[in-house]
Amino acid sequence: MASFLLRRLLALIPVLILVLVIVFSLVRLIPGDPAVTLLGPGATDAQIAALRAQMRLDEPFYLQFVNYLLGLLQGDMGISLKSGAPVLQEILLRLPATLELAICATLVAILVGIPIGVLSGTRPNSIFDHFTRVFSLVGVSMPAFLLALILQLIFATYLGWLPVSGRLSPYIIMQPITGFVILDGIITGQWDIVWSAIRYLVLPTAVLAAFLAATLGRFVRNTMLEVMSEDFIRTARAKGLTRAQVVLEHGLRNSLLPAITVVGLKFAEMLGGAILTETIFAWPGIGRFMFEAIKNRDYPVIQGTTLVFSLLFMLTSVLVDLLYGVLDPRVRKRMK
Amino acid sequence: MKLRNLLAGAAIALPLMLGSAHAQSTDPLKTLIVAVPSDAVGLEPGANKAEPIGSEVILNVFDTLVAWTAPDFTQLEGRLVDSWTVSPDGTEFDFKLREGIKFHDGTDFNAEAVKFSLERTKAINTYVEATFGLISEITAVSPTEVKIKLSEPYPAFLSILAQPQAAIVSPAAVEQFGDEGFATNPVGTGPFKFASYQADTNIVLDANPDYFRGAPTLERIIYRVIPDASTRRLELENGGVDVVQQQGQLSAIAAEDVAALEANPDVTIIEAPSQIIRQLEFNNNNPDSPVADIKVREAIVHAIDYDGLLQGVFGGTAERVYGPLTTNSWAFNPKMEELAPTYDPEMARSLLAEAGVDPSSLDLTLYSFQGPLWGAVATFVQANLADIGINATIAQTEFPAYRALQTAGQFDVALDGRQPWYNDPDAHITIGYLSSLADTAMTFRMPEDAELDALILEAQQTVDQEERKQLYFDIQEKIAAKVPGAYLFSPKLIVFTRANVNGLVINTAPPLNEYWGVSKE
Repeated sequence: MASFLLRRLLALIPVLILVLVIVFSLVRLIPGDPAVTLLGPGATDAQIAALRAQMRLDEPFYLQFVNYLLGLLQGDMGISLKSGAPVLQEILLRLPATLELAICATLVAILVGIPIGVLSGTRPNSIFDHFTRVFSLVGVSMPAFLLALILQLIFATYLGWLPVSGRLSPYIIMQPITGFVILDGIITGQWDIVWSAIRYLVLPTAVLAAFLAATLGRFVRNTMLEVMSEDFIRTARAKGLTRAQVVLEHGLRNSLLPAITVVGLKFAEMLGGAILTETIFAWPGIGRFMFEAIKNRDYPVIQGTTLVFSLLFMLTSVLVDLLYGVLDPRVRKRMK
Repeated sequence: MKLRNLLAGAAIALPLMLGSAHAQSTDPLKTLIVAVPSDAVGLEPGANKAEPIGSEVILNVFDTLVAWTAPDFTQLEGRLVDSWTVSPDGTEFDFKLREGIKFHDGTDFNAEAVKFSLERTKAINTYVEATFGLISEITAVSPTEVKIKLSEPYPAFLSILAQPQAAIVSPAAVEQFGDEGFATNPVGTGPFKFASYQADTNIVLDANPDYFRGAPTLERIIYRVIPDASTRRLELENGGVDVVQQQGQLSAIAAEDVAALEANPDVTIIEAPSQIIRQLEFNNNNPDSPVADIKVREAIVHAIDYDGLLQGVFGGTAERVYGPLTTNSWAFNPKMEELAPTYDPEMARSLLAEAGVDPSSLDLTLYSFQGPLWGAVATFVQANLADIGINATIAQTEFPAYRALQTAGQFDVALDGRQPWYNDPDAHITIGYLSSLADTAMTFRMPEDAELDALILEAQQTVDQEERKQLYFDIQEKIAAKVPGAYLFSPKLIVFTRANVNGLVINTAPPLNEYWGVSKE
């Protein structure tokens, strides 16, 4: 297991370097440069030239790349062209918000999606199955921004139960400790913060979870259907096990394996791909940060966030492989 | 190295913060929540590049020496100064400072602080090199007297001193935090003190009870970052924010939003005229262009239905522009209203005939910025041109690429505009029409014209305001006679507030709000 892990981790390095080379060149191929973008239509050439020199964009491409790599080796991802703050610090400030949302959404999706999948998989073509099929179709096909707007209108504007956007009541000013607002509230024993944070978390979580729960529900349903018709299930039934034992211990355990891959990959995607949800709900996460950086041509931030996303994505897939080993003895054997 | 520092810092800071992490909530009636689309780029004068959010924070945390007087912004008043005099040759400015003012850190405001601040901006803020570069010497004559010398006369200099870059900073705080640290710990004399900042979340300002013009009614201002326009609108309707500003940017105002919010009794809409001009620009510096013939240009400016554009596309949220300056500029020449082209397609067709140009032979590309409103303007103009037989294809172009194309002169007709930040005709005229600056920014690309160029430079340097005004009157007529473009409209500055917000005054140039006099019921 340890040598498997080491091999997988070492294999990440060349991929990361490749990602870096591609991103470093690509961002410089987008027309327009950060000095022009930051200063807007009213600026003169002299103002732009002065800012370019200040940002050291007037240096040749290869020198910029070498300097960036040398910095990376020391854990320095450069300075944001917009804010002037270190990129790593800017990313770490925003990562907890994204993680908080992704973890909650994944948990909700698992809690909703898997039972739906199991129930409709064991009762194919029942009314429940038809109902969840429609639910899944809507969940998978509705764009995030539309679902977000509908939920905001229903639960914030008409019912007034939940806030429209944000991460915490704007009247509560709190300097982060861990950056996970709920955790910070628990650590300091301020339950009003925890409650406020949960209220703000509901809608964005629902939007992110809807897609995953729908995908997961369909996926588990289909694998469940397949597994339930296998010989060993018939054997288990013949042995006189209860229906619950057959479904949960034999059926579910075997249909969960492929579902883990789906959850793992979707979770990894959420870490970097929740741009729309983060923008609509004014959620101060890393996806929105990257989106703004692309708009502003903030090269170091685009490079830094892409690097972090790639790393998180690859680490998640390693983790999924390890989980496979834990759940499936056959895979565990191959890892050795 | 950096990572280790950060982790070490976190390890030290964590127990300290655990002891002090109290959430503070305030009375909602004493707190004003302002929606902004993104984080500020910078919070201090030394780094300010006329970016709206940071600039507005600066104007509320700091004071400038002088400021334009509300509500019509045609007169300067002293803020940190009691009075000032300008030498007859326009190169020496003597200021008498107010006494007894203190910075938020308790240190005294005095002549040394003024000298320090302005010299600091001059040294580290490249954005204002063209204007601050004119300062040759600043002398602290006494603790309450400052003399500023310019290398050449520049009457708009007082307007420059009302800009965020010219705000007066606490020298002690700059020394304590360093230039970089000061950006996240700005200390001024203004009505609000900087309290905290959280990335992509908020900027918090607390009231300065010792403010020299009197303590503000509000206890706190929270700038909430809400990037999505429809979310901002929902938050305003639900009372999650008190103020939504459009900052005079065309892309941010949707006419249908204004109409919907007008019907909402919980929301007040404040409109103020701006000095922004949006125009259809001709490439005036290309003899091979189809618009090189003045008759063709005249035909095009008569083809546009100006009032229809204001009503149809903007629903009354924009005003007519008659020439190179807006009607609210102190140098606006009233004669321009008569001289401005009228909508007359018949005349346009006959002008084309006079020029011997077959309109169907004109196949123009109409360049424009991106965004739905620019698209609507472009479509409107396209239809007007089609009406007199000219075929125009719209090309909405992404900004940095658009600038490159425009400054290289690779266009015949283009939609463009200028939002002046300092309140002086110089902000439109010099950069827009001086031939030596034609290629250095998005301008009208005027060809060399010794007479007009000399006139523009003379107006820029004339000290006597009345004399200056006459020069600008003359310049406006001379420019209009050359038909450098069609002046389409001036969008109003529009600020939405909750109905219980009182006392908000909207500045026109720079288009930024001051919250000192604001209260909530």
